[in-house]
Amino acid sequence: MNKNYVFLTVLMFVLALGTLFFRETDKPEETAPEQLLWDIIRPNRYVTTDQVAKRIIQGDPSLEIVDVRNKDEYSRFSLPGAINIPLDSLLNKNNLLYFGVPGIDVVFIANDDIASDQAWVLTKRLGFNGTYVLKGGLNRWMETIIDPKEPSEEEPATAWAVYDFRRGAMMYFTGAKTGNVESSKVVVPIKRRKKTNVVAGGC
Amino acid sequence: MGPLIPNGIIAGNWDFVIALLIGIAFGFILESSGFSSSRNIVGVFYGYNFVVLRVFFTAVIVAMVGLIYFNHFGLLDLKHIFILPTYVGPMILGGVMMGVGFIMGGFCPGTSFTAIAIGKLDAVAYLAGIYLGIGAFQLTYPAFAKFFTSGFLGNVTLTDVTGIPAQWFALVFTIVALVAFWAVRFVERRIRKKITEYKF
Repeated sequence: MNKNYVFLTVLMFVLALGTLFFRETDKPEETAPEQLLWDIIRPNRYVTTDQVAKRIIQGDPSLEIVDVRNKDEYSRFSLPGAINIPLDSLLNKNNLLYFGVPGIDVVFIANDDIASDQAWVLTKRLGFNGTYVLKGGLNRWMETIIDPKEPSEEEPATAWAVYDFRRGAMMYFTGAKTGNVESSKVVVPIKRRKKTNVVAGGC
Repeated sequence: MGPLIPNGIIAGNWDFVIALLIGIAFGFILESSGFSSSRNIVGVFYGYNFVVLRVFFTAVIVAMVGLIYFNHFGLLDLKHIFILPTYVGPMILGGVMMGVGFIMGGFCPGTSFTAIAIGKLDAVAYLAGIYLGIGAFQLTYPAFAKFFTSGFLGNVTLTDVTGIPAQWFALVFTIVALVAFWAVRFVERRIRKKITEYKF
């Protein structure tokens, strides 16, 4: 009988036995209050309607829009591709599967940004990253994307560029014809998302 | 600290480089363990050669116990590890099919590649079969789609399902493996006596 084998067998058994003495810290890690406060104060969870519109138009597969209004409101209208998770069922096990997926940005939308902010705090508290809030919600969406206001003549060129984009986006989302404005041509650059390859097991 | 890429210690673009290096190491170990020989591999089913059981069980228990230690000492956060989603029925059927194919073909998909690397013709036929099978499955997928996604439990571990801490599974599995290591020696010895001609 080989001595090495006996030694390795005993070693492996002792190592496996040793794991039993680890104290299991079973509770999911919660975000510390200080960290949560810091995250709440910082405005970088907000995304603008323009950013979201652009990503929808580009067909960005890394964008997941979550509508936190109730079912009725959702069925009346929502953004294209949005899924409905009412705020009161946010913590359902199946709904939580949408969050924390690597490479996916979740954007919460509601009529304003209060309910989405609440949803954001809850997911943050659960330790999920990559969740965002649509600033101003669908009301802002209506004001800026669906019914953009023409800037006055003396405003800077950037304001006009934003306006041009919004007119193009409005046509995209409503299918409405706009007046014959030369500058209303919107060039939407196609940006391919980098592949996130989920590692699948295998032999 | 780990996992390295999700925690930003290594940039995400390195994953293919790392995959290549691990792949080379994996292939090397498969080949040097004698897994390119289909006689060696199916020996575990006929009882004359248990090298497959030894190598894979060793790899499994070392990795399993090692991960628990790594997790405990903060080197690797097991919460961020990708866990394959579980589909109960399809996985049982798939396992049975895999086993049958294993005995009939004499290769597992990984070892067929190492066997091709050393120039085995049966492995080429095996690999052609793999790709034909994959193609056939893709074309007929709609017929299986319902069964394919049935019994979904999510990305769960045994600990999630039973509530028993992972350490107990690790311990029991280690004991089973260690007992198996010693038990198969006797099986091997007995059966090899009856075999007059045996070569890899």
